[in-house]
Amino acid sequence: MKKRVSFGGVIGTLLTTLFAAMCITPLIYMVAVSFTDSESLYISLSDLRFSFDNYVYAIVKRNFGRALWNSIVTVVGSCLLVDLVSAMAAYGFEKKPVPGKEALFQGYLATMMIPGQVILIPMFVMINYAHLTNTYAALILPMVGAFGIFLMRQFMVQVPNELLEAAEIDGCGEIRRFVTIVLPLVQPALITLTIFTFNAAWNNFLWPLIINTRSDMHVLPVTMATLSSNSTTNYGMVMAGATLTFLFPFVLYIFLQRQFVEGIALGGVKG
Amino acid sequence: MTAKPKIRHTRRYRTQAAIGCAYIAPSFILMMIFNVIPIFMSLYFSFTKYNMVAAPEWIGLENYQKLFNNRVLSDSLVNTLRYTLMTVPVQTVFALILAAFIAEHLKNGYGSFLRSIIFIPVIVSLIASATVWNIMYEPKGGLINQVLNFLGFPSVKFLSLKQTALPSVAAVAVWKNTGYYMVIYYAGVMGISVEIREAAIVDGASPIQRFFHITLPILKPITYMIITLSIISSFQVFDLVYKMTGGGPGRSTYTVAYMIYAYAFQDKRIGYACALAIVLLVVILLIHLLQSLFFNDRDGRDSQ
Repeated sequence: MKKRVSFGGVIGTLLTTLFAAMCITPLIYMVAVSFTDSESLYISLSDLRFSFDNYVYAIVKRNFGRALWNSIVTVVGSCLLVDLVSAMAAYGFEKKPVPGKEALFQGYLATMMIPGQVILIPMFVMINYAHLTNTYAALILPMVGAFGIFLMRQFMVQVPNELLEAAEIDGCGEIRRFVTIVLPLVQPALITLTIFTFNAAWNNFLWPLIINTRSDMHVLPVTMATLSSNSTTNYGMVMAGATLTFLFPFVLYIFLQRQFVEGIALGGVKG
Repeated sequence: MTAKPKIRHTRRYRTQAAIGCAYIAPSFILMMIFNVIPIFMSLYFSFTKYNMVAAPEWIGLENYQKLFNNRVLSDSLVNTLRYTLMTVPVQTVFALILAAFIAEHLKNGYGSFLRSIIFIPVIVSLIASATVWNIMYEPKGGLINQVLNFLGFPSVKFLSLKQTALPSVAAVAVWKNTGYYMVIYYAGVMGISVEIREAAIVDGASPIQRFFHITLPILKPITYMIITLSIISSFQVFDLVYKMTGGGPGRSTYTVAYMIYAYAFQDKRIGYACALAIVLLVVILLIHLLQSLFFNDRDGRDSQ
């Protein structure tokens, strides 16, 4: 292509740069305020100090340590459960002659159209009835959904039947075939699904808010939400909490950018 | 596919079917408990008076009748529609222009750097976004008001004025969502074949002409999909409203999803909240139906 600088191109590049700057400004502001110790927002560069006081205060005094731990447990548990259950289901749907499986699969897909608010209230009633409030199980078990099964099944098609048959003839058992042949072959889909689940679980708010009401079972977004309503205007500490909440997905995004964008973009494209 | 009818009754077929069921069973149990049964429970509760203490009491259509005379609901619906109109067109147009421009002019390292930056708000949780923007909107010294003061304007109490509260929440949604839809559009633009674009350039089409006569028509199916998805998600806006305004001031940011939450978990009027949730479900199913009719009508091939 010939290199030609056009007027429109320059203006467009400037506007796009400006837009990107506006996208990132609130986050730079968030980190900057988290490193000041002033109670006022009229901060200048001289107020910035590289001290983690706000972070220590948020973690030790304001429940962020506990919430961080709860979020991590929930996310790890959700990813493991969703990956395993989805991969198993996809394998059953794609590779096994189960009668009526296509109708069931269509039924699964239909659930993706149901808005969360509809199932939220009965789920709350059931979890209460089962005495599972304020547990990790209440946060993890509902994470399984049709999207993961749909995604895994699309990849499961590519697993060659001949390979599975050959392994069977060689005396490789059912479970060993699934673990040593199928799972490695669908690994890219598992990574995408893990990132999707990570995001969903890490950012989940309304469900953890209503189901785990004890503060020692709060996850990060719930602690964030209750924080500023009962604290004074300690902006630095509030922003430290927001930065902590942002940090983990951000680090993942830096290192796994392509998979990360894929995991989120695919997740939105439901139905 | 794997099983031909003649081998249906062999022992091997039956074993394989049983093993298949075992693989599907965990997902089946979880999907039933957390996705299917709750829909029917919601439907049942919507015909009852229920506060989670006493047993549900059947009252027929009373909840629905009350809903249609409810001022709060009509306010919430209007707010939800206003919010949708403030977010969906703006973020879709921004996303499209950014994607088309970057694909056309910035197919280099800088362009991919800008794309990475614009995507970052997508990964910030809604509650963290709301927290940061609350402080940005602070009347005393928040970043936005500092900029306004610097430019010679007085401070604005963005979140406590009826006129500005909902647009202020909508702005956060646009900030957070644009990068997401840009990524989807970008994939679509990159999918346009090189031959078509080069043919247009050879024919002397200007960049603007190419955008309106080639890019836009080809991206039409993606646009339909994006608009449907974003309408549905803006109909369910909750986290931002909860954290930024709590529905106020007055009821100026009360949305349907927030109303369901308030009725169910603050007032413990489970039956009434479920009736409202069922109404929301019907609306969202209608949007899905409209979208699929629209697709099959006009772009049947593309939607496959």
